[in-house]
Amino acid sequence: MTVHGGIAPAIAADVRRGERLEWWTLFWMSSVIVLMWLTMGASQAMKSAVIEDFLSLVPAIVFLLAARWERRDPNRRFPFGYRRGNSLAFLIAATALLSVGAFLSYESITTLVRREHPTVGGVTLFGHTVWLGWLMIAALVYSIVPPIILGRIKQPVAERIKDKVLHTDALMQKADWQTGLAGIAGIVGIGLGWWWADATAALFIALSIVKDALGALDQAVAELLDGTPRKLASNDLSDDAEDLIATLKARYGDVSVRLRETGRYIDAEVDCPSPADVPTAADLMGDDAAWRLASLSFRPEPSDPPA
Amino acid sequence: MMRKMPALLLLPLLLAACDGMPRDAGGTSERISRTGTMRVIVLPATPDAAPALDLLGRYAAAHGATVARVEAHGEHALHMLEEGDVDAVVGHFAKASPWKTEIALSKPLTHGEPDDADMPVLRIARRNGENALVLATDRMVAEARR
Repeated sequence: MTVHGGIAPAIAADVRRGERLEWWTLFWMSSVIVLMWLTMGASQAMKSAVIEDFLSLVPAIVFLLAARWERRDPNRRFPFGYRRGNSLAFLIAATALLSVGAFLSYESITTLVRREHPTVGGVTLFGHTVWLGWLMIAALVYSIVPPIILGRIKQPVAERIKDKVLHTDALMQKADWQTGLAGIAGIVGIGLGWWWADATAALFIALSIVKDALGALDQAVAELLDGTPRKLASNDLSDDAEDLIATLKARYGDVSVRLRETGRYIDAEVDCPSPADVPTAADLMGDDAAWRLASLSFRPEPSDPPA
Repeated sequence: MMRKMPALLLLPLLLAACDGMPRDAGGTSERISRTGTMRVIVLPATPDAAPALDLLGRYAAAHGATVARVEAHGEHALHMLEEGDVDAVVGHFAKASPWKTEIALSKPLTHGEPDDADMPVLRIARRNGENALVLATDRMVAEARR
């Protein structure tokens, strides 16, 4: 690992675990997509659920790409390395989540406004004609199991490696299983002759996805604009960033301290002359979180404008 | 949320256990039973409509009703079906018919599904959302093709 490249040894095992979880996500969610595709028939609700599941692969794919980039060393063309690839991946993942929410909202609202009555008829299997709704419910029940399990396993890993892409992916899995439940409620609603049940359930879920996505997008933009590091699940400043600012101010007086986040790593700038005894990352962040601080710079004459 | 999951999962399954799924969104089957009449349009130039009319006649009889022919042609007929002014339309429709999302088309009655999705063949069109009627007639079509 160098200052601007590679994955810190302290989190290398967890990042690899995150990558394994994302490969599992791609495998299981692909199986869900195939099953839903086979049973979707003419149902708009099922079609939306398939598209939702398809888009839900985006965070997993960008996480895997970003982890590859992160391992690359800086070079003449990219002297600061590729760690910000993670920030870019986060923006893409948040945009994918927003697209899912916006798409589902649009679908549900148009179904309600046009008063479309969904048709779910019979399908003949092995000589018996059964209601396709039962097969759809079975596919939807299957579709909610992998995301519930994977989402719960990912959450603590994302917290440990401060990975917003993995965290957004866990949110995406929440969207997946909630959409699956809404889909089941919708199909049962169709079965009971309530044409509006399906779209209404989907609309509530869609709005909650949009809310999560807008929050994630806010954070992604903050990260790309060199904002002070944010918490994983909200746009508030992260606790370790606030602690680091306090520690630096305690050491160097009431000077200006700027922190920014490059992917999962913090870069700090302090407006004071370089001290004789430069502290280590462990001195400032503690042993466990020392990997988070990638660089610390001192700027002696911040008041002079650049020539 | 996670703690409520089993209950949430159970609710639709309990509901699903109810008899009589699926039901019609517009109550067509009940209306046919109540009024004793099933209103059917046979599109003009459907010389081979007999198997479809026979099937619908058996469906109506099972609901204590008889088939009443309504005269209409072209898009008028399909609009009447969409509005629920008739219960079924018999005619030649392609699998890729431009109307396929507006109405519920059955499988072909007398042939297998043609390889060419644009080839019109004898089918029964039902009103969207009338899922009890759609399933019952789908079953009868599957039996007729056997």
